[in-house]
Amino acid sequence: MSNNLILDVRDIKVHFGGVKAVDGATMSVERGSVTSVIGPNGAGKTTLFNLISGAIASDSGTVAFNGEEIQNLHPHQIAHRGMIRTFQGAKVIKRLSVVENVMLGGQKNPGERLSGFFNPRARSRYESESRERAMSLLKQVGIDRFAEDYAGILSGGQRKLLDLARSLMAQPTMLLLDEPFAGVNPTLVEKLLEVLNSLRQAHQLSFLLVEHDLETVMNISDRVVVMAEGKVIADGLPNSIYDNELVIDAYLGTRKKKS
Amino acid sequence: MIAFIQPGFWVFVLAMAGIYGIFSLGLQVQYGVGGILNFGHVGTMALSSYTMAILVISYGVNFWIASLCGVAVAALGGAFLGLTTLRLSGDYFSIVSIAFSEIVRYVIFNSDGFTGGSQGSLNIPAKVEGDYPTYTNTWEPFIGWVKDRLAVIFGDNADRDMAMALIVWITLGILLIIVGRIERMPWARVLRATREDDDVPAALGKNVFQFRLQAVILGSVIGGIAGIYWALQFSLLSPDDFLTIVTFYGWMILILSGAPKVKGLPIAAIFFGFLYGGTRFFTFWPFSILDSSQRAYIRIMIIGLVLIFLMLKRPQGLFGKREEMVLE
Repeated sequence: MSNNLILDVRDIKVHFGGVKAVDGATMSVERGSVTSVIGPNGAGKTTLFNLISGAIASDSGTVAFNGEEIQNLHPHQIAHRGMIRTFQGAKVIKRLSVVENVMLGGQKNPGERLSGFFNPRARSRYESESRERAMSLLKQVGIDRFAEDYAGILSGGQRKLLDLARSLMAQPTMLLLDEPFAGVNPTLVEKLLEVLNSLRQAHQLSFLLVEHDLETVMNISDRVVVMAEGKVIADGLPNSIYDNELVIDAYLGTRKKKS
Repeated sequence: MIAFIQPGFWVFVLAMAGIYGIFSLGLQVQYGVGGILNFGHVGTMALSSYTMAILVISYGVNFWIASLCGVAVAALGGAFLGLTTLRLSGDYFSIVSIAFSEIVRYVIFNSDGFTGGSQGSLNIPAKVEGDYPTYTNTWEPFIGWVKDRLAVIFGDNADRDMAMALIVWITLGILLIIVGRIERMPWARVLRATREDDDVPAALGKNVFQFRLQAVILGSVIGGIAGIYWALQFSLLSPDDFLTIVTFYGWMILILSGAPKVKGLPIAAIFFGFLYGGTRFFTFWPFSILDSSQRAYIRIMIIGLVLIFLMLKRPQGLFGKREEMVLE
């Protein structure tokens, strides 16, 4: 296994009843790169994501993160190792304020232990630092004006930005983004791309993205993995994927013309 | 009618309201913060009160130590309930939690030689044969001492119930401050998140099961404290004290107060206590037309109607936030 791989997925499988949702997928992500998984509806992209992040258990195969096998760990244990994911459609905690949502992302918070009750000083120090950092992240994604509102009032696109800020709060080494651009207006997509690029340069973050089609991820991806019917059918540079016959077949003409 | 105007009766109601308030605070930690619907809360009260009584009567353990042991056993009971059933999602947990308190009650009911069985604490075997089986030998002098201090202010009106009410409400006050602080900790923020969604906190590195388990145990400790006061208030224990309906009295207080914050709880407890106690005295016209057994049912109906009316007018409870209820 190359030391340069932050994530290495080997022959992973899972079935739901008779449906082989992911049927022997193998793929990897290089440290500091942006890799995108694309594929038509029902290709198994989100299931692959759920397998990597531990949200569902695999039938067989291995997932190695930083050289350590993580396929049998719980989601929170995987998060502790520095891999943080977002959710399709962006899940926010509606009855917490926007800034509190972000603060949830903080790691090793002494106030999240009941024993922290007896250490109010450490607790409040962490809390005020955490609030400050949360506010600057909100500013970075451009929704700091909603900081004190319930997250339930945010629009779909704003929820995605919140989800991103919250994930960054955890100071991950790798981010898994599930359809970060779906249903987001072009200006916001620009904003998201800008944030992702600056993160990449500043923190050597690695990314794994899931998107529906190639156009969206063409320009930001170092590498594109194409899935169809639970299998990886193509894997390579974005340009090489563009002309791949198998990929065109998988999309059955639903692929958009380059504009 | 005579009792209706006697302050002594209302002091008794106040003491009971305080005990129910403590009991309900245990539910508040679990539901108000963590969204955990526990319908077996009365089981923790049964565990702590019986543990204390048995340790004192059968083993001669010091009352204060026995009380601590009682609360510890309630915590263990909560841990057992949580460890075995919290992995069930929402509704299923609630159903199993009822079974928990009923199992506790039936075990007490059927363990004659140990718990006194159906005859209650009077039948717990005493350490020295022939001794009267009581667990209040240490408590009564203490409460008498408190009563004597109260007599300085209230003169002849000071009685045992007044001393009890004072101690219970001081305890509730302290617990409200502690729980209120805990609920401003990031710990509670994580639990509030789990109330809406398991996946988000888990993806951010929070062990959701552990947080829920802690909430159930903390609530059980508080329920256990209520159980000790319950035992002391009546000086006797019977398995029938711990019917499932008692859990729902706790729920009524919680719903009246508005679940997410603790500050409404003492007022809701008093309101419930006086509604529950006060309606016993609806013996005047037009209630006097009915005989006493009919009035007993009318009373329960009136309590129900008042609660329904309140819920229609203030669905968020006395101090709940309405905005939180409408967010989608």
